[in-house]
Amino acid sequence: MNKDWQLFKVYLMAGTFTFSGGMAMLPVIERELCQKRQLLPRDELYEYTTLSQTFPGVIALTNACFVGEKVNGKSGMLAAGLGAILPAFVLMLAATIGYQHVPQSGVFLSIMSAIRAASAAFLFSAAYGLARYNLKDPLSLAIAVGCLLATLFNLLSAPTLIILAGVIGLISARPRKEQS
Amino acid sequence: MIITLILAFLKIGFLGFGGGYAMLSLIYAESAHLGLSAAQFADLNALDGLIPGPIAINSATYIGQLTAGFSGALAATLTVCVPSLVIVPLYLHFEHRIKNNWGLSAILRGIKPASAGLVLAVAVTLALTTIGGVDTLGQIAKAQLNWANLLVLVIVLLMDAKWHLNPVFSILIAGLIGGVWYYLV
Repeated sequence: MNKDWQLFKVYLMAGTFTFSGGMAMLPVIERELCQKRQLLPRDELYEYTTLSQTFPGVIALTNACFVGEKVNGKSGMLAAGLGAILPAFVLMLAATIGYQHVPQSGVFLSIMSAIRAASAAFLFSAAYGLARYNLKDPLSLAIAVGCLLATLFNLLSAPTLIILAGVIGLISARPRKEQS
Repeated sequence: MIITLILAFLKIGFLGFGGGYAMLSLIYAESAHLGLSAAQFADLNALDGLIPGPIAINSATYIGQLTAGFSGALAATLTVCVPSLVIVPLYLHFEHRIKNNWGLSAILRGIKPASAGLVLAVAVTLALTTIGGVDTLGQIAKAQLNWANLLVLVIVLLMDAKWHLNPVFSILIAGLIGGVWYYLV
């Protein structure tokens, strides 16, 4: 069978059945591409996974593009990439159109409002998850608190803060690099 | 509108380091510029939990559809893919020169803690909106406590911390509490 078609199919399947975030695709990709079809060694898949996380953009898509390109060049990259995003696009489009038809009154409003509270709770958990792994020294803690306060008091926008934080990261890393 | 959407999602894509939740603060900021309310953003976040796929893709489709219909959804989704499609061929082409680049990891060391603070800020804003009915910290004096939503937030947080429940269950439970509360209170 054509390699592009196989890549597309594997990513389409992985994208359809994995919830909350793209990284959940990984076990399916490993089973289908590395074990069953042997199109890619497992350590290369994990190397690309680590690498994808250092770049901006949609990590799962970057990973799919790396894998696709490695297996079958440019056309492989497009096939894997398309497979990775198509389920999310189609399902989310259908869900959004459905959502636009939900009445915003009476019991529906009460239900939606409660779901929004759950949504806020998800973000508290997400912030805790990010903080737990990334706030290990005083500088990171200062950056995090600075971003929190600057956003809450409307001082600087999120894009500005992210650029500033990147610059701070660069400056603070420089001397350490020269020492080593 | 389509041009505005494309610019917004280029910004989200190229500044979006660290994956879905780290990108959410950017998505929130841009969605506010595009005219979405905090409630609509909260609904997006709930749908993210229900629908498979990367958070940034789901968000692009949702925001595009709400602001400019199908063509908006398509344009926003394709735009948010641009960084991956540019970076992968570039990296593979210059691999030997980029490998072990300390600059990228240094930038990430700054941005990851920033995204923790930024996501917490969005979480606080959504909590203010859903529990207090106000949009900013400055209006907190005018807040009116919504007990049902406070209950939901605490229950979902506790369940998430304790059992890492699937968001689908959390959303079902939240909806149930909201529905029952409407008829009881």
